[in-house]
Amino acid sequence: MQIRPLISSLQDFYLLSYHGFLGIFRRPFYWKDTLEQMDYAGAGSFFIMALVSLFVGMALSLQLAAELAVLGLKMYIGKVVGITIIREVGPVVAALVFTGRVGAGMASEIGSMMIGNQVDSLRVFGVDPIKKLVTPRLVASLVMLPALTIMGDAISLIGAWYIAAFVSNQSSYVYWSTVRGVLDFQNVFSGAVKPFMFGYLIASISCYMGFTTRGGSTGLRTSTTNAVVMSIIMIIISDFVLTRILLYVLGYKT
Amino acid sequence: MIVFDRVTFGYNAKPILNELSFQVDPGEKIAILGGSGEGKTTILKLIVGLIRPDSGRILIEGEDITHKTEEELNDVRRKFSIVFQAGALFDSLTVKENVAFCLREYTKMTEDEIDAKVRELLRLVDLEPAIHLMPAELSGGMHRRVAIARSLAVHKPIMMLYDEATAGLDPVNSDNICNLIVELSSFGMGHMMVTHKVVDALKVADRFLFLEGGTVVFDGGADELLASGHPHIRTFVDELRYQPKVSGKR
Repeated sequence: MQIRPLISSLQDFYLLSYHGFLGIFRRPFYWKDTLEQMDYAGAGSFFIMALVSLFVGMALSLQLAAELAVLGLKMYIGKVVGITIIREVGPVVAALVFTGRVGAGMASEIGSMMIGNQVDSLRVFGVDPIKKLVTPRLVASLVMLPALTIMGDAISLIGAWYIAAFVSNQSSYVYWSTVRGVLDFQNVFSGAVKPFMFGYLIASISCYMGFTTRGGSTGLRTSTTNAVVMSIIMIIISDFVLTRILLYVLGYKT
Repeated sequence: MIVFDRVTFGYNAKPILNELSFQVDPGEKIAILGGSGEGKTTILKLIVGLIRPDSGRILIEGEDITHKTEEELNDVRRKFSIVFQAGALFDSLTVKENVAFCLREYTKMTEDEIDAKVRELLRLVDLEPAIHLMPAELSGGMHRRVAIARSLAVHKPIMMLYDEATAGLDPVNSDNICNLIVELSSFGMGHMMVTHKVVDALKVADRFLFLEGGTVVFDGGADELLASGHPHIRTFVDELRYQPKVSGKR
């Protein structure tokens, strides 16, 4: 890849995400668009997020039960599953599902608006496309991904409990007691910070890729694919960086 | 009113316009003709500041818009209304919401007032019965007509810009759109229509520019156009042989 177009693209991405975020605090406020996006991103993703989270929790519990049984530590399933889901797996899985469903939708919607000159129409009407299209999606992601993550964490823990109690024959009381034990500030804070960052990245990247759409259906396919791929890569990288920072800030020794 | 002064523009180093110069006076009815990729639509986008020239100047009512910011360009854009190819309606909004878009954005009209204004505009383009339809339910011609109604919603432009307004339409729908364009010009607005269909251009315009190689190779009236010996213009004009008699304005 050539350096100059790459730097230019990064600059455009930075400006779009920066102005999109600043749009939250500047008039006019597109409440209706924001609520529509929140409905699409939040309520619309509820079922798929619940389904994925349930099976992730169950699979995790199965794996851990098998390993911990060898060591005679099956009573720790709740603790290990709780920490894993709340701090790491829950936010990342939720972000990946959100990327596939919502991020791809954002990129393709804005992309088709680009191809159909609808974005140009907005500009001709004196409407800032970033304020109108990016800011509502950014707000929707910043609000809905954390909410979905919390919901997904809870469902994962229920799935893990089902396996622990009915497959591994563990006491439900012990499971929930150990899960409650890991719901301290450090763990909850670690898991709560990440979805905000992931939501911001997914919305910014997806909207940016949508705005770069050129040509017809092939261009739309490319930009949607790029949005999903780039979002996933950035989620994984930022998860590592955030984990490192959070562990340091919260005083963990690694 | 519109002056292109040695304007050069290219996409990704591919030259489109090459030191293009022309002038359009207020109230003129002008058609820009030329083959695909000759930069016809680019000219419209340059006029409303959607893209910027690589070099040269564009003056709108004596004001150089070449280096204006996006916010400053909004004042320029209010002087024009542009109807994009295929209409560019917002496909998530109904016909009513499309036409009401700028009314909601820039006025404090009540719902009843908006409804009345939208119906008035849709009557103008003969589409009031389609008020609650979605863009996906409209034909190509209806798309264009709704787009024209939407472009007239808030302010009366000094010039309408039409980008391939009749492309992809059957002769009857093309004729309807051309008649509508002529009808709107009777309200005192000039218009500039980009097209590759000479038959439609002759219906709506009295001045014609022909683009080739990024520059104007012909600038004149209908009779001169029809009599031109330029080989590419002749190819376009020969299209008329296979068309029914030109109706509409003429």
